Amino acid sequence: MNKFTLQLRVKQSEGALVRILGVTRRRRFDLLHLTADTSEDGHFLDVQMTVQADRAENTLVRQIEKLEDVSQVEVVEPDEAAAERRAARSTAR
Amino acid sequence: MKGAEFLVKALEHEGVEIIFGYPGGAIMPVYDALLDSKIRHILVRHEQAAALAADGYARAAGKVGVCMATSGPGATNLVTGIANAYMDSVPMVAITGQVATSLMGTDAFQEVDIFGITLPVVKHSFLAKTAAELPRIVHEAFRIARSGRPGPVLIDLPKDIANTVAEYEFHEDDTSEEIAEPSKESITRALTLMRDSRNPVVYAGGGIGMGNALDEFRAFIETTRIPVVATLKGLGALPTTHEFALGMMGMHGTKTANHAVQTCDLLICVGARFDDRATGRLNAFAPNAKVIHLDVDRAEVGKLRRADVPVIGNLRHALKALTWELGNIEPWRRECTASKETHAWDYAAPGAEVYAPGFLKSLSDRAGDDSIVACDVGQHQMWVAQHFHFNRPSQHLSSGGLGTMGFGLPAAIGAQLAFPHATVINVSGDGSIMMNLQELATLRRYDLPVKIVLFDNRALGMVRQWQELFHDKRYSEVDLSDNPDFCRVAESMGIPAFRVEDRADVSSAIDRLLAEPGPMLAHVLIHQEANVWPIVGPGRSNSEMLHQHEVAREVAR
Repeated sequence: MNKFTLQLRVKQSEGALVRILGVTRRRRFDLLHLTADTSEDGHFLDVQMTVQADRAENTLVRQIEKLEDVSQVEVVEPDEAAAERRAARSTAR
Repeated sequence: MKGAEFLVKALEHEGVEIIFGYPGGAIMPVYDALLDSKIRHILVRHEQAAALAADGYARAAGKVGVCMATSGPGATNLVTGIANAYMDSVPMVAITGQVATSLMGTDAFQEVDIFGITLPVVKHSFLAKTAAELPRIVHEAFRIARSGRPGPVLIDLPKDIANTVAEYEFHEDDTSEEIAEPSKESITRALTLMRDSRNPVVYAGGGIGMGNALDEFRAFIETTRIPVVATLKGLGALPTTHEFALGMMGMHGTKTANHAVQTCDLLICVGARFDDRATGRLNAFAPNAKVIHLDVDRAEVGKLRRADVPVIGNLRHALKALTWELGNIEPWRRECTASKETHAWDYAAPGAEVYAPGFLKSLSDRAGDDSIVACDVGQHQMWVAQHFHFNRPSQHLSSGGLGTMGFGLPAAIGAQLAFPHATVINVSGDGSIMMNLQELATLRRYDLPVKIVLFDNRALGMVRQWQELFHDKRYSEVDLSDNPDFCRVAESMGIPAFRVEDRADVSSAIDRLLAEPGPMLAHVLIHQEANVWPIVGPGRSNSEMLHQHEVAREVAR
């Protein structure tokens, strides 16, 4: 299994997030974690998602890049702050 | 001006001459505006045919096809045609009416989330939420549909937006970006592999025709003298009668083409995507070959087969840059062309019944170089690919990716409207024709001289063939022996028709069909057990082609 995290920027437009999640599912990547926030200027959605699959990360990255409203796709180290928040939540439970 | 009136003006502004569609409640403002437009509207009898006709028009004419339907069932009926365009990268704009914005999300009459339904099968889509964004949406839809790797774009237009009166101005911002040239480094690396290769093969796909790279491709082949195998959509990139053309590869490809690919040391893939019907078992495909992959869509490179050298970008530039003489491949090319002669098609089949491959060969010889063939899906589709000669890919309209039965008749309608004086032939089967049979009425209404060759084996032939070969002859739901009388059906819709039952009558039947000035249907009876040969079985490597005589021997044992 290949597990990795993507940092995406997508224009705030009809169905923007659904499109990204749809491509992820159709290309057979499992979603493990997702955060999405509106950018400060309100025009974009910044998405971080961690996925896993048997397939190479580029097979997903290249498909997401093709989406008309996506302006940035990067494979990143998972956001540590987000990871800590998750860890804190699971301890709290 | 109302939004609907602006939409129609904007379509005119984009150069749209024909729209295929079907009216209904939510799209009525647009149909009202169409009355005052010079755009020709073709009223089909089922929305699926509107989308498929727009697809056929786009493939034949090289323009963006436009289809239109109302909300709800009108919109869902378009979906198969949109998916068909998506899978074969055909430029299309589909316009759907939608219930008024105040009713959206309330399960209103004829409300359906067509935006959501089509997400997986569009290149992009728009929901017009305000009248102000209409100009940009229309402009962007056409730009996206035709740019880069083309595809379908949906515009969902709520009825209140269509009725909104406002000042509209055309969106003139010309954002159509040039496709990037491939990197110099990739060209240098590709040329090194080409010069080192003794047994290279070019694997030609649909991207060559769709990327308007025919001239560059042919110059590339004439100069490098590399043998060419084609995908279903790549047929005609090099004329199929060309000395270096080895025929179609894959499941129903030629022995020569598949053997060349399986034994080559370098595979140069041009605008193709390693589809499973072309490659057979992927891990046994071209096992000794390094791969150079030329494509405009970098998501296709490395998707299924690693490319040693990806060449991403404009095919025309890439091919031009790779057009150099190669000194060392003559023996290999002679081997390939000699194999072509050894494995040439044999049209002397036993029996007195019509032999479909022979029929198509004769039809091709007589229909002329400007004819266009639109086929449906199944055995007849493969026979067309195998036995018709194509001088350019846009002569051959075939549903490759989606494999849509019912594509042929609407696609032929689209092609005939694009080229009113061309000989347009729909080759169909008794299964497929019933999927959009209602469009015979459209042929009549517009008096389109489409010629229909309907091969009738009283079965779902391709499925029957698979059940015979791979399911121990356990025939399940493939019998169509209760077909209607197709001649009478056609005649009842005003299309003259005649039946062909004997091989001796084929020649006069083709004459009669081609001489008819209007539409005509030839109902051609063929043997129920006629199969498409050769065939690569499911999950098998392209090295393991089954031939008719081999299977016959096996059965005899």
